[in-house]
Amino acid sequence: MNAKLEEIDGKYVATLEGEMDTLAASEAEEILKPLYNSNGKDVIIDCYGLEYIASSGLRILLGILKGAKASGSKVTLRGVNEDIKNVFKLTGFINIFEFE
Amino acid sequence: MKLKTNTSLITIIAAAILLQGILAVQYYYTRSLLADELEKRAESEITTKAVVIRNALDLSENSLMGHVWDLKRNLLHPDSSYNVMDWVLKSHPHLTGCWVAYVPDYFPEKGRLFEPFAWWDHGEIKHAEIAAEGRDYTENPYYKKVHATNTPMWTDVYQENLIGMNLVTYILPIHDEKGKQVAMFGLDVSTEQLGDTLNYRHIYPSSYNFLLTEKGQLIAGPRDEGEKKKLELEHIIRMINDSTVERLPSSSGRTKVLPIKNPDGDEGLVFYTLFKGQPKWQIAAVCYDKEVYAKLVKMRRMIGILMMLALLVLGLIITRFARNDRKLQKVKIEQERIGSELRIATNIQHEMLPKIFPPYPERDDIDIYGMLIPARAVGGDLYDFFIRDEKLFFCIGDVSGKGVPSALVMAVIHSLFRMATAHEDRPARIMQTINETACQGNNSNMFVTMFIGVLDLPTGRLRYCDAGHDAPFINDNALEVIPNLPVGVFDDFTYAGQETQIAPDSTLFLYTDGLTEAMRSTSGRLLPDGRKNGQHEQFGLERVKEVLRQDNNLSPKELLEKMTVAVHSFVKDAEQSDDLTMMAIHYTPQKYECTLSETLVIRNNVKEVSKLSEFMKSVMENVGIEKPLDRQLQLAVEEAVVNVIDYAYPVGQEGEIEICVMSDGKTLKTVIIDSGVAFDPTAKEKPDTTLSAEDRQIGGLGILLVREIMDSVNYERINKQNILTLTKKFN
Repeated sequence: MNAKLEEIDGKYVATLEGEMDTLAASEAEEILKPLYNSNGKDVIIDCYGLEYIASSGLRILLGILKGAKASGSKVTLRGVNEDIKNVFKLTGFINIFEFE
Repeated sequence: MKLKTNTSLITIIAAAILLQGILAVQYYYTRSLLADELEKRAESEITTKAVVIRNALDLSENSLMGHVWDLKRNLLHPDSSYNVMDWVLKSHPHLTGCWVAYVPDYFPEKGRLFEPFAWWDHGEIKHAEIAAEGRDYTENPYYKKVHATNTPMWTDVYQENLIGMNLVTYILPIHDEKGKQVAMFGLDVSTEQLGDTLNYRHIYPSSYNFLLTEKGQLIAGPRDEGEKKKLELEHIIRMINDSTVERLPSSSGRTKVLPIKNPDGDEGLVFYTLFKGQPKWQIAAVCYDKEVYAKLVKMRRMIGILMMLALLVLGLIITRFARNDRKLQKVKIEQERIGSELRIATNIQHEMLPKIFPPYPERDDIDIYGMLIPARAVGGDLYDFFIRDEKLFFCIGDVSGKGVPSALVMAVIHSLFRMATAHEDRPARIMQTINETACQGNNSNMFVTMFIGVLDLPTGRLRYCDAGHDAPFINDNALEVIPNLPVGVFDDFTYAGQETQIAPDSTLFLYTDGLTEAMRSTSGRLLPDGRKNGQHEQFGLERVKEVLRQDNNLSPKELLEKMTVAVHSFVKDAEQSDDLTMMAIHYTPQKYECTLSETLVIRNNVKEVSKLSEFMKSVMENVGIEKPLDRQLQLAVEEAVVNVIDYAYPVGQEGEIEICVMSDGKTLKTVIIDSGVAFDPTAKEKPDTTLSAEDRQIGGLGILLVREIMDSVNYERINKQNILTLTKKFN
């Protein structure tokens, strides 16, 4: 999979593409680490290209969300497909994340 | 309550009216009977008395007639008249006096008038010459009348001054040979004597009879008994006379009746009638109601008193009855209340136990039937079962004692069983947890014998723990059990679990001692050694075994029904002494005909996960599982395997994980086997998915996804291997 982190207009934009299985998640975590402490900046996670996510990926997203909430910023998920949205439903994550 | 009182009152009033009615009718008829009787008696009385008086008068007349000849013979000797009169009086002592009044100048030597008179005076006959007294009898109206008519007659009452008596007199004209009237022959009868004759015996003590002349003058009546009686008699005579004017019958012989009222206000009747022939006297009889109806009045009074007593007794009975009835009603209401509360308690208790049979109609590997027949309304027995993660958890228990207290303990034990089995599948641990909690605050020293079993459905592995309970049967063989202490005795007791393999098509039979100890009464038979046979006989283990042996193709329901019939026909009509609980479990492993089976072995390294992804993708393609399910299944298997990688082996230890995926065309079954330390992912508590981001925990997500995606998750540790089986229906 591919993971990319940018800073655009004072917001973090993370782009996730491909299949984020357990192994891929641990690799992506290295790239996404700065988001754990977003320093009050809003975070946008671009999921247009994301095809699969395992629980380890969800854990990273939860970590980002917890960090953002602690510093008072927002986390928005963009372009989440139905399959992945279903995983969010099963875990109850659909209630805590904001989707665009 | 109010209604009851009114009903009693109405009953008493109705009874009173009825009795009063009966009394009135009875009184009316008796009175009219008595009135008829009175009339008959009075009529007979006056008729008889009339005859008696008439006879007395006839006798007097005849005696006078009898001596007319004597008198005529002596017509030349004036003084010989005395002799004749003496004869008359002597032969008739009831007469008062006798006299002869010669026509004026009959005896020249005796002067113009001569009337010799003889009368009884205290047993002696006295003589006197009335004309000598200076009385001119020719002026007497009776004399004149007889003289004129020349016919004998009875006079009305008059007072004879010489002897001082009231008299009536019979006057008979005497003629000489030439037929010339020469004298009047007279005979006196005292009215007092007539009255005595008349009132000799009365129909009623206070009734009396009297004689009246045709004109209504009193001739004779009862002896003078004072002024009051005299006034009363005068009063009655006046009434008769007043009525006579109009009502006196033209022809005599018929009795007349007249209602009267004496000056005291007593009502009565006077019966009267005219004499037949001369003299035309009237005879009357007076009767007073108070006497005629005296007995009736007395009777009425007595019946009245009796009636009041009867009503009083009736009232008392009704009141007592009503009061008892109220008490009964109260007790009944109370009983009904307790009864309905017990019914509710029974319902609550039964609600706790599984009650839908068959419980798993969709499964072909397991069939269960259970029943609990409490000895009283509520019982202390329990049974329960449920399936979690392809494991059948079941238990049966018997709380010491019976009734409500045991039922309460039973409810507690039941909920403890459910709590303890939520994340634990080792029966000994479950029993341990229940025991520890049950011992806390168990001051009533109640204990529970209990059997807990956990049957792994895919493998048929049965783990169990027996806490002093009767060993269940597998088919007709009793299960071997370690005798642990019952639950609720010591909180630090360590329970030992056991395990065994259940063969396909086996039936587990669990029961409480209510079955083996079901009793029947037997007649005390004398045994050869002189002892008496027990009065009670128990159903016993042998009879249970016998029923189990007979037929092993029965369904659990049929088996329990058969057992019930056997027990009932054994105890007959003896009262059930203890709760009777039974449960039967039929097990045969699910048939799984693989159409595909592929296996992957990886090392316990996250880097191996990509191999798993490829493997799963190809399997899914082979089986024909499409989007989006393929991704979900891939995710679930990946999460389960990662879980094993993370926890099964200690850090740094190398190990292998075998992933076997099978399909029968309908379900996908994934078995993940490792040889690491015992680790049961199904025992983990499910994370709360409703929490906020701040409160959500990082862990537990993997197994949550596995559970959410898969239909069933089953963990078993067999031969030091962890075996996790995931199944999912896809078709």
